[in-house]
Amino acid sequence: MTLTKYIEISKISVYNSLAYLLDFFSGSLFIGLIIFVFIQLWNVVYGPSAGLIEGYTINMMVWYLVLTEAIVTSPGKILEEIGDEIKTGNIAQNLNKPYNYVGFKYASSMARTLLRFLITFGVGSLVAYVFLGGLEVKFLTLPIILVSVFLALTLHFLIMVLLGILVFWLEDASATYFIYQKIVFVLGGMLMPLEIFPTWLEKISAALPFSYIAYHPAKLFVNFQWSNVSEVLLKQLMWIMIMIVIVTIVYQICIRKISLNGG
Amino acid sequence: MGVKISLKNHLKLLMEYVKISLASAMEYKTSFITQTITMVINDTVWIIFWIIFFNKFNQINGWTVQDMFMLYAVVTFSYGLAGVFFGNRNKIAEVIAEGKLDFYLSLPKNELFHVLISRSSWFSMGDVVFGLIMGIISFSWWQWPLFFVLSLMSMSIIISFGTLAGSLAFFMGNAEESSRNLYMGLISFSTYPLAVFHGAARIILLTIIPAGFVSGIPVELLKNFNLKWFLLSLICSLVFITISIIVFKLGLRRYESGNNMNVRV
Repeated sequence: MTLTKYIEISKISVYNSLAYLLDFFSGSLFIGLIIFVFIQLWNVVYGPSAGLIEGYTINMMVWYLVLTEAIVTSPGKILEEIGDEIKTGNIAQNLNKPYNYVGFKYASSMARTLLRFLITFGVGSLVAYVFLGGLEVKFLTLPIILVSVFLALTLHFLIMVLLGILVFWLEDASATYFIYQKIVFVLGGMLMPLEIFPTWLEKISAALPFSYIAYHPAKLFVNFQWSNVSEVLLKQLMWIMIMIVIVTIVYQICIRKISLNGG
Repeated sequence: MGVKISLKNHLKLLMEYVKISLASAMEYKTSFITQTITMVINDTVWIIFWIIFFNKFNQINGWTVQDMFMLYAVVTFSYGLAGVFFGNRNKIAEVIAEGKLDFYLSLPKNELFHVLISRSSWFSMGDVVFGLIMGIISFSWWQWPLFFVLSLMSMSIIISFGTLAGSLAFFMGNAEESSRNLYMGLISFSTYPLAVFHGAARIILLTIIPAGFVSGIPVELLKNFNLKWFLLSLICSLVFITISIIVFKLGLRRYESGNNMNVRV
């Protein structure tokens, strides 16, 4: 019973998003452009011999980016949405409704996010395929990779919700998002796999939650090792649990501090 | 518009807008400082990315990390100037679509110039600061005058390109997303070493999406000055300025006013 209402929220969100399909496509064109730039960049780095760099072929390197870009960019502006609702006090409209605010946001934004993920990944794949070539992926491993991507999107969502709520104290939502995005770009390993980093930085980045949004799932995708699967999925779940606890606590504190005037 | 366009008058108007913008920055100090610092951090993270990258690969087609520092000096400084003084450079499609152009049409100043200067982006102040920091790290004293001249040329190209992308709204109606993508495309291309692009991609970046003239060519000129490429850059910026003014004028003829009777005070 409780779950059905969240499923309904997701459905409504998908119907709403369908109206903006063209907008989604247009946004993902930009991702296609970035993939194109990186194909040029990696082509020069790999040179004509096109060997291995840290265990990655050039195709693995580019398809890695296709997946990380799709994961990182598809949730859109959740952080700013929540930040604005908190700053303007509009969040109050949700407080007396028969649902959990974060649960509601999750249901409505995940539906949109998954749709946008499919489109962005599609456009990115097309660019990678046309300008570079394909990638060998075993069919059997796909369900596991999809689970990891889903967990990555959930973790990404939770961190943005947390930062969105923190806007109550941090003031500027777009500035907060800007910096979080750049952390995921570099420390999360969105732009390039962590193996390219100096060892000390690689170790730090691999342990931080941001790499479970981009690096770890993308590595499973381009270089699937059964020995890594359980560790990646369990660590993703662990970070999700930790974030749920932190979000719940911070949300309660924030709600207590919000003062409402009139209706 | 029958009113004679005088350069002095327009510069005076620009100064007035700068004064207003400064006054409001001082009024909302925290916000202004936060956004400036955020942009500096943002740019720093990109430079860290390139430091990591070149730490691993040393050079790509002759480009080193020092060249990337120079590239970021030129790119952030010129984008920053464009944002601080001509803040509406990437908002023209919105202004047109929302019918806000009416306000400018009723005044005796050049419409395009007035639209461009009537907003100032505080995030861009961070870009200006970062560009100067990168400049201090990279340039010898004799490179500074050239750096300022080249940045002004880059800035003109950026503003003209933003104007052209935004003017799409005159011809297609809802062009906000497309114009944003075009503008972001120019930014993105200009933050990567020009040396990685070959063939058709390179030709495009030196013509219709002139990112090469925004950053790559200025870096080459700062390293080894070459009169031919300097003149080509100058011609490129003049051509883009001219085309953007013409296209905007043509667009204005097609513009159907909204009935947005707002008075700005």
